[in-house]
Amino acid sequence: MNPRLRLALALATLVAGLANVALLLRAGDDREESLVYLVITIVGVGWSFVGAGLVAWSRRPENRTGALMVAVGLAQLLNGLLFNGVILVRERFAFALWFLLATLPEGVLGHLIAIFPDGRATTRLQRVFIIANYAATVPLALVQLLLVEPGRLGCTDCPNDIFGLGGRDRYGDVVLAVSDLSLAVLTALLLWIVVMRWRHAAEPRRRSLAPVALVGIVLLIVYMTGQTLKAVLPDPPLALEVGFNLAILIALVLWPLAFLAGLARTRLDRSAVGDLAVQLGEALPPGRLEQVLARALHDPTLQLAYWLPDRDAFVDAAGRPVELPAAGGDRAVTILRHDGDPVAAMLHDAALDEDPALVRAVAATARMTIENERLQAEVRAQLEEVRASRARIVEFGDAERRRVERNLHDGAQQRLVSISLALGIARSQVGATSEQEMAVALDDAAAELRLALVELRELARGIHPVILSEAGLGPALVSLAERSPIPVTVTAVPPERLPSRVEETAYYVASEALANAAKHAHATAVSISARRLEGELLVEVGDDGVGGADPDGSGLRGLADRVAALDGQLRVYSPDGKGTRITAELPCGS
Amino acid sequence: MRPTLLIVDDHPGFRSLARKLLEAGGFAVVGEAANGHAAVATARQLRPDVVLLDIQLPDIDGFEVTARLADGEAGPVVVLTSTRDRVDYGERVERSGARGFIPKAELSGAALRAFLGDDQVR
Repeated sequence: MNPRLRLALALATLVAGLANVALLLRAGDDREESLVYLVITIVGVGWSFVGAGLVAWSRRPENRTGALMVAVGLAQLLNGLLFNGVILVRERFAFALWFLLATLPEGVLGHLIAIFPDGRATTRLQRVFIIANYAATVPLALVQLLLVEPGRLGCTDCPNDIFGLGGRDRYGDVVLAVSDLSLAVLTALLLWIVVMRWRHAAEPRRRSLAPVALVGIVLLIVYMTGQTLKAVLPDPPLALEVGFNLAILIALVLWPLAFLAGLARTRLDRSAVGDLAVQLGEALPPGRLEQVLARALHDPTLQLAYWLPDRDAFVDAAGRPVELPAAGGDRAVTILRHDGDPVAAMLHDAALDEDPALVRAVAATARMTIENERLQAEVRAQLEEVRASRARIVEFGDAERRRVERNLHDGAQQRLVSISLALGIARSQVGATSEQEMAVALDDAAAELRLALVELRELARGIHPVILSEAGLGPALVSLAERSPIPVTVTAVPPERLPSRVEETAYYVASEALANAAKHAHATAVSISARRLEGELLVEVGDDGVGGADPDGSGLRGLADRVAALDGQLRVYSPDGKGTRITAELPCGS
Repeated sequence: MRPTLLIVDDHPGFRSLARKLLEAGGFAVVGEAANGHAAVATARQLRPDVVLLDIQLPDIDGFEVTARLADGEAGPVVVLTSTRDRVDYGERVERSGARGFIPKAELSGAALRAFLGDDQVR
């Protein structure tokens, strides 16, 4: 906040307050209420709101609460000046001016309560309330002045028609009834807003709402009790009335301090950081850090998420992925960085954003522990991934065995059955047919037998290609290319033999990619290369097919697991319509 | 009189070989069916003495076909067959209500006839 503006506002407030006192003294016996009562109502409440408001404004310039408190105080002081003016000059236009602005302090106060402690309207209901509430100040007063007899508005000296417009209290009853009703509705609406805010508030926000709500409730109870007593007792004793009025005044003067206290409580207790440092000095069991931070920041909903650079994702302490909330909601995120790289994220109530410095201080204090927990979370996430891939590998093996059984059953076994039947037929014909017919039947059986052998060889090669173990990866890839139904170019193969696990994995990457290219991608050409780079074998398979391969489909997933089992990395580039390129980096020692 | 036979299998190659073999083995093959539903319909229409029924069929399996054939009065004698062995099916063959099981490779007129009581040979 600009210090000059602050000084100007403070001076204006001081002057307005003193002027009020002077006018009140001058008015002397013309006023109906006691001097003390009026001084407290106008000057006490005005100074209290402006003073507390200026403090709040300087400390939290981004939060509109302070400015609104200043506005409430100034409106009240201005109102007092006009009120005194009316008493002194007893003039109808002076009355009209005062009357127009008389409810402005309540209007601004309603605005203030509706947006506390965020300092801005967050829901549609709040915005609607604020607009309606201002409409019930100056605009409503203008309607009343125009349509209601001034005597009924409190101006006993005024002529029946203040502005000489001729329309005299024709709609007075209706206007006053509507005014009362709208006041009741607005009050109910405001109560609703406050109750809803309390119900939805997390601990930190309740801490700041509590003082304001407490004084507000006291005010409400005292006011309602006073009104009830007035209604019940026909002639209430003066002491009682004065007592209630005084109680209300004290509460009103104290209320700004409650606002200030509420705002201060959103700036949390700095000693929390010290306590935190002590707690972190002792070894924490895994997962406890979250609770400790939640306590330090008074936010039980606080959640810690750790950054895993391998996965480009945040996970919780157990290694499960965590979604960060979108900006602008009830939840906020503070990302903790080390040398510019994210280490962890704290997900917390948005109210804590009021004091980012404290959140950062807490985070900095906990940095070492957070880094430890991050490493643990990383290990757990890896473990989770290993477990999942182990399960997939077992499942894949089972599926493979089922496939082999089905292939045997549908292929070679059927052929052998046919041979058996054909031989059975030949046997039944012995002696009954010519030798020539017998020769045909036996030839048929022999042909079936050759086909059965071919199928068995194919199947055996599918289970394990002999050429791979006998001659190595290069010849095996060339042989794979020769047997492929679509044209395949093998552009590079390693000249030397590699560890068998590496050769096998490289071979399966090529054969699975080739099968996909033929089966799903409708490719017309495929190229395969396997090159030795530093310490690893790089296998690349590219096709010119339709692309759009799903890396999480069972085939590619199985390949990725196989490659991961060698600590390698499988990558699939398969944009729609642009072909597919699959690369595998396989570490092979040395 | 030669017992009448319906052959049910989804492989045409097997059906034609089995027809040759079993006709040489003393059966009169009156029909063939390539799936379970066709098997039930053809059996009801032709009323064969024996149905040689493959267990693995493209629609309903041989056990289900056996159960449906047993629903009718004086159903045919059902003999199940498969490329797989009897032990691969556990107790399902016994429970199915079929008269017996012959592995495809051991199929012959004599093997099939062994399951027919004298009463069935008209």
